[in-house]
Parts: sequence; structure tokens; C-alpha cells
Amino acid sequence: MDIQYVGEHLLPGKIGQFFIVLAFGTSLLSTIAYYFQTVKDKNDTSWRQIARWSFRVQSVAVVGIIASLFYIIYNHYFEYNYAWAHSSKTLPVEYMISCFWEGQEGSFLLWAFWQLVIGNIIMRTAKTWEDSVMTIIGLSQVFILSMLLGVEVLGHRIGSSPFILLREAMQAPIFKDPEYLIKYIADGKGLNPLLQNYWMVIHPPTLFFGFASMVAPFAFAIAGLWTKRITEWIKPAIPWALVAVMVLGTGIIMGSFWAYEALNFGGFWAWDPVENASLIPWLTMISAVHVLVVYKNTGHSYFTALFLTLISYILVLYASFLTRSGILGETSVHSFTDLGMSGQLVIYVLAFLALSIVLIVFNWKKMPFTEKEESIYSREFWMFIGALVMTLSCLQIIGFTSVPVINKLFGTDIAPPLEPVAFYNQWQMPFAVVVAILLGFSQFMKYKKSEPVKFWISTGVSFVMSMLITAIVAYFTLFNGLTTIYGEGFKNTNDFNWMFLVLVFAAVFGVLANFTVLSDAIKGKFKLTGSAIAHIGFGLMLVGALIAASQNKVISINTAGLDYGSQFDAKNKRENILLWKNEPMKIDKYTVTYLGDSTVGVNTYYRVNYKAFDANNQVSENFDLYPLGQQNPSMGLVASPDTRHYLTHDIYTHVSSVPKKETEEEEHKPHEGHNDDEEYEKPVTYKVGVGDTIFFDEGKVVVKGINKNAQLKDIPLTSNDLAVGLMLDVIANDNNEITPVEPIYLIKNNAVFSFAKKMDEFGLKFKFVNILPKENKFELVMLKKPGKQKDYVIMKAIVFPYINLLWSGTIIMVIGFLFAIARRVKEFRASEKTTGKKAKQTA
Amino acid sequence: MKKTHIVGIVIIAVAIAIIVSTYGNSSTYATFAEAKESAKEMHVVSHLVKSKPQHYDPIKDANYFSFYATDNKGGECKIVFFGTKPQDFEKSEQIVLTGEMVGNEFHASKILMKCPSKYTEQGGDMKEFSSVKKATAL
Repeated sequence: MDIQYVGEHLLPGKIGQFFIVLAFGTSLLSTIAYYFQTVKDKNDTSWRQIARWSFRVQSVAVVGIIASLFYIIYNHYFEYNYAWAHSSKTLPVEYMISCFWEGQEGSFLLWAFWQLVIGNIIMRTAKTWEDSVMTIIGLSQVFILSMLLGVEVLGHRIGSSPFILLREAMQAPIFKDPEYLIKYIADGKGLNPLLQNYWMVIHPPTLFFGFASMVAPFAFAIAGLWTKRITEWIKPAIPWALVAVMVLGTGIIMGSFWAYEALNFGGFWAWDPVENASLIPWLTMISAVHVLVVYKNTGHSYFTALFLTLISYILVLYASFLTRSGILGETSVHSFTDLGMSGQLVIYVLAFLALSIVLIVFNWKKMPFTEKEESIYSREFWMFIGALVMTLSCLQIIGFTSVPVINKLFGTDIAPPLEPVAFYNQWQMPFAVVVAILLGFSQFMKYKKSEPVKFWISTGVSFVMSMLITAIVAYFTLFNGLTTIYGEGFKNTNDFNWMFLVLVFAAVFGVLANFTVLSDAIKGKFKLTGSAIAHIGFGLMLVGALIAASQNKVISINTAGLDYGSQFDAKNKRENILLWKNEPMKIDKYTVTYLGDSTVGVNTYYRVNYKAFDANNQVSENFDLYPLGQQNPSMGLVASPDTRHYLTHDIYTHVSSVPKKETEEEEHKPHEGHNDDEEYEKPVTYKVGVGDTIFFDEGKVVVKGINKNAQLKDIPLTSNDLAVGLMLDVIANDNNEITPVEPIYLIKNNAVFSFAKKMDEFGLKFKFVNILPKENKFELVMLKKPGKQKDYVIMKAIVFPYINLLWSGTIIMVIGFLFAIARRVKEFRASEKTTGKKAKQTA
Repeated sequence: MKKTHIVGIVIIAVAIAIIVSTYGNSSTYATFAEAKESAKEMHVVSHLVKSKPQHYDPIKDANYFSFYATDNKGGECKIVFFGTKPQDFEKSEQIVLTGEMVGNEFHASKILMKCPSKYTEQGGDMKEFSSVKKATAL
């Protein structure tokens, strides 16, 4: 029998589901129609008309899906699983957008949306390439939309719909109640507090735009092989490859900026598998860009260019398999959980892999393989080497990130590296050095053949100048010059590695060489502007990342801690300090004071004041930071840092532990009169016998025995009354001091009383509430005050020197990409015009 | 020999080096007994012993937290973690520890704990805690 549920809004979900089916259907139709247009007669364009219109309808449908989902979230229709799982009533509107990408379904939706945007642009601009390229993009779209279907076919559920109802998603007895929605579902689970950050509003869309745009160069390559235009696809593919690299790169760096601003792992890159998954396709695509340019200019390295272009998109799919299948669960903290779609994801990856392999095999003989060797004094040779080095660095990242996949496939039990950050850095630094050197000196070469003497002179000059500049840069970033940031008394205790110097040199050399090219470009050779600027940005980024990652310093070193012996101290710097409210403490050159907290909504901000004094004891710096701590019911303490930005460095602060606050739930409990226990944490009941021990953070409680002749001060006892004391010893951990406590259980005139006893030093309170004669046990209730009476905060503060080099480097790199894209688009337009003219002439 | 061949050989050599270092050197998850024998840093999958004392007194030392845990073979060991006590630690279902044995204590530099999520039936939330930030040790 069907239950008539009360208060549900089923219409928006039905509309949304209709749009999903419509979008899927039209994507399939447009793909099929474009396929036939590509293989059939060119003069009859009826298939193309069908394909275009169905693609447009599909675009409208996807926007319809997004609108329906937003409507549901905006109106708090928690009968829908997606709204319930990812939003709540208190969520501000701007973060409702973030709900879209907290769940897998929403992030697929985002991906589908961007792929449509790209499809629409290609439909208008690709001209002779439209039919074949759009077939491939359409196919990719079919796969992505199938992830949203949520329809059962032959007993298999295909995809997972965002419009599924809560009662369909979960089996629970409450859903037998027609009024479950009104009675039990008062609010949604809410958005993960870490995602409630403005960077989380723009980082995922950028990242997914990057992922989605990877399909364009892939589609051009496949289309080229398919329609036997084996080499012609390269020209139109280059601008798209640049777009993909630029957007994905921006997305990645936004993610690392978010991590730095909102997460408390104390850095901007942690080599987490999820981060790696986005970096892998970026590395292969940037290699592809270089080899594509090599082929365009010299006709060399065709196969490498093709291979890298194809593999990049396949790696995008592999990366989304890694992050979405739940396979990273053991190694990563923030991948998605499995939605039961891993099979579908595997099919998606394998389908595109198979398509690529088949087309390569069939066209193998038609591919241009040059017999002639490149000269060592040619730019293309070194660009090619550079691309290979980047591919190798990518291989290393794939190898380690895939450990869980290998474990699953072969049943092995390999553990991830113990110190992933140190491990990856060690591997990646030499690659970075080689790449930085290559992107420097290859700029002094010309395609095909350059003049060795001229090359050695310009390289030599840059080399010597780089030595000088490196010395200056290294002094300020790795050695004593750091005192300009940390203050005169600073001693650099960070580990030193010679590789740092080498990398700084390589990056400086790269930047300098590209500055030479840039100055030529300004004089009139505009063509190379884009690459020069992008390379300068990349070099600055390397230096910035190296300095900020290797020279950052925890300044909140605790010197007040207990002494656990020198062996402990050497290995374990105590990086958290405890600040009592209003008691200033000196950390590094700052006098730091915790001034109290304020609560806004679910967030608690801890106000920490920093003051620095100059030689004359005048305040030279004075600022407040508000690191955030949220007592999240499902996640515990969620801490988000606050950072003071200076031009040369940042001061980064986050709370690592705070006294537990009463949660809202408890506050809103109806008060039964005034309760003396309010200031305590929740009472815990123990069943104890004589000799038992109860542990708490600062010590333990031992049950010594029973006092049958307990006396109460103001209450005279008769022979009918029973008063029993439970003799407890509270033993402090640090000095083993014993404090006896004796709560009393009293039966007088057939009524039961329990006389609580306090132990103030540890904020404890004991109640003896019952005697269980059969078991020979006693029931003891123990209450404990949170932390201690005083207010405090435990925090960590880190100084990141020169981190702005990293951010500005990336911005410069993006500007460089923009220049390069503009140039390549112009080239493609020009070539289309000439082929158009030729076609007319032959006709 | 052609230059491309030389390049090819170098690339293959580096690729093999990567594969060997990935899978040849890698450790597997260990038990406390194995960690004691090897005296190297290791991963241990363990469970909190709820009946044994936990020590964390932020007022004395905010960076010392000790507790007892059992590994998958049932071996029990005292764990010392030089950092703050993770919140809701008592609720943890499984703890992956990274660290080494020092005497009879296991000194953990990282705790990855899996908590039962209040809402989702399957899976749970993973949380990671590090004592010393190792990003500096390049």
C-alpha cells in the first residue's frame, strides 16, 4: 500500500528528472546525427541540422536541471536527498552554489555544463571540423549525463540522480510515517564547513572547466584520425590545448590557495591523491602543448604529440575515477565516497582508451615519422626533451597515487609513502630543475638549426648573470637575509638541502633567459610574448613554492612543556602553544594575546592579538587575527586559519584545540529549574566494584571501598536509615598526589538521596546513585568540567616567507597563456582562410 | 647511435628507477611487533583500547597525548603522539598510525582516524592529524 506523504514537494524533482532524461536523450541524438553527417554525403546537411538542434535542446535541458536543483536547495526541500545531505536552513545563499559540488552528482552536472559551453563554441567556430569533433564531444557528454540518470536498466542502476528523495535514498523506519518530513526532518545536514569559503565558490567551477576543456584537443585528435586528416587537426587543437592548460592550471592553483586560506594542514600543497589527480592531466597536457608546437613548426614528433594529447583526456577520466570511486579512501582524507558508480566510470575510461588505441592502430601507416634527425642546436629537440621530462615527472606522480588501485587489482598490501610531502618533493625537485634549465636555454635557439656560437654566447651571459642573481636571491630567501622577515635575532633552523640552491639557480636562469626573449618581443617580435611571459611566471612560481615550502617556520614553539628527555625534544618540536585568555605570551618577535571568542552562526572566531615592538619599545606592528573553530556535530572541531598578509611574508594562525563548548542542542534543552550541573560536561555513569579504576585526562579515580558508617553533617540518622559512602581516591597523573573523595548514598524514610561530592582541582563531581547488591557493584556518576575553569586556546602560528612570489608567478603564467592563445587562434583563422580560398579556387 | 635512441634509453632508465622505487622500496602495513623489530618508521593499522588510560593535559603540555591501541593481530602498545588530542578521539573506529617504536612506546607522527559518521550508513569520515609539519623536510 502506498503511503500518502504529507508536505512533500514532488514537482520540482519531477521536472528536474524530466530534464535529465531529455538531456541524455538529446545528447545521444546529437551524437548519432553528427556521426552520420561525418560519414555521409557532405552536400546533404540535414543530419547536421538535427544534430545542432538536439545539441541546443540539450543545453537548455542541462540549464533546466541546474535550475530545478537550485530551486530545491534554495527552498530547503529536505525531502530531496541532495538538499538534505548538502545544505541546511542556515546556509547563506552564496554557499548554496557550493552545495552543487559537494556531492558527486552536482559535480558531474557542472562538468556536463562546461562541456556544453565548449561544445557550443566549437559548433560555431570549428567550420570544417564541426561534425567530427562534435561527435566525440557528444559521446563524452552521453557518458557524463548517464552518471546522472539514476534509472534502473536490467537490474543495474545507471547513474545517480540528484533528484532522488530522501525516503528513496535511505531505508529507515521513520519513512513509514506519512508525516515524517514535518516531524523528523527539521533541517538538512548542512554543507561541510570547510567548503563554506568564497574560494570554494569559484575553485571547483574553474577546475571542472579545465577538466571539461581537455575534451576539445582530444576530440580534434580523434576527429583528425577518423576523417583521415592525420596532421591537420593540430592547428585548431593548439589553442584549445592552451585553454585547457590555462584553465586547469588556474583551477589547481585556486585549490591550493583555498587549502592555504581555509584548511589547517599548514601549507598550500600536500601531495594528497586528490590534488595529484588534478595535476596529472595538467602535466601531460602542458607537455602535449609543447610537442604540438614542435610538430607545427618542424614536422617532427608527430606521434608524441598525438599520444600526449590523447592520454591527457584519458588521464582526466582516470583521475575522476580515482577521486569518485572511493578507492582512495585509505590514503586520502577528502575524496568522494563511492556512489556505486565505479563500474560506470571504468567503462567510461576504457571506452575512450579503446577508441584511441583502435584509431592509432588503423592509422599507424599514414602517420608521418621523420627519418631525419633533429640538430642538437635546435629548439624543437630541447622542447621535446622538456616535454618528456615533464611526462616522467607525471609518471612518478601517477605511480604513487595509483598505489590503492594496484593493491585492489593485484591484492597486494602496499602502504603509501610515510612522508608523502618529503617523498614527492625529493622526486619532483630534480625534474623541476631540468625543466627550468630547459625552458631557459631553449629560448636562445631557433627551430631547425641555430648558430652554435651565438647560442653559447647568449647562454653564457645569462648563466653568469643568473649566478649573481641566485646569490642575492638565495641570501634573502635561504640564508641570513631571512632576518628581514623574522627579525634580527632569527636563526635559520630549517633543514638545508643543496637541491634548493640548484633549483633557485635553475628557476632564476629560466626567468632571466625569458626576460631576454621578452625584451626582443617588445621590440617587435610579438609572436613569442606569450611563451616568454608564461615561462617567467612558471619560474617565479617555482622559486615561490620552494621558499614558502622549505623556509616556513612554526613560531609558536612551546617551551613551557614538560621535559620528556632530549631524544624526544630533538624529534618533536612542540608546535602548539596554549594561550590563557588575556595573558600575553611572547612567541618569536610577537607578543601574542588571546582576547576571547565571538560566535557568528555556527562559527566561533578566536580573537588573537599580535604586537611587535621596535628597538625603542614602540609598537611597530599591531593586528588581530580571527582563526575560526567550529564545533561540528559530525566532524568534531573544524579549524580554519586566519592569515595576516604582508608583501614579503604571511603570518598564518590556526587553533588546534579549544575548550569544548556546549553544543546548541544542549543549550536549547528545556531547563528543569536551575541545574547545578550545567557547567559540567555530560555526566557519565560507571558501574564499578572495589578496586576498579576510572581514567580521565589528568589522572585516575580508584574505588577504594565502602564506608558503611558514613556520616552526614546536618542530617541526623536513625537506625532505619542507611547511609553508605563510596571511598574514592583521585590520583593526579603528574605528581601522584592522592585526594580522597566520598560521595554518599542515603536511604531515609524510604526515599533515596545522593550527596554529590566535588573535587575542584580537576573540576570533578561524583554522585553515588545506586547499589547493585546482586553484582556487588555500585553505580557512580562522574561529571567533569570542560577543560578547566579558565578560558584558553591552543594554537599554531607559521610564518610563510615570500609566498607572494608563488601567487604572482601563477598570475603571470596565466597572462602568458592568454597571449599565446590569442596568437594561436589568429594562426588557425588565417590557415582556415587560406584553405577556404584554395578550396574555392579548385572548385 | 641516434640521439633519439640515447634519449630513449635515458628515459627508460629513469622510468624503471621510478617503478622500482615505487614498489620495490615500499613498506606494507605493519604490526607493533614488526615495528619494534625493524626500528624504522611504519604504518600501523590499530584500534583504540577504550579501557586503558588516555593522557592529555593541555594546560601542562598541549603537545603530548598518549593512549593505548591494539594492532590487527591483537598486539597492544602505548602510543605517544606529540600534538593536540584530536577531538572525538574516543569515537574512532580505526586509527592508522605513522611512526616508530622507541623502547616500548610507539611514537606517532601522524594519526589518521576513521570515525563512524553520524549520518551515512556506509563508510565514515576520515581525519588526519600530524604532530610535526613535515613539509619542511624536502
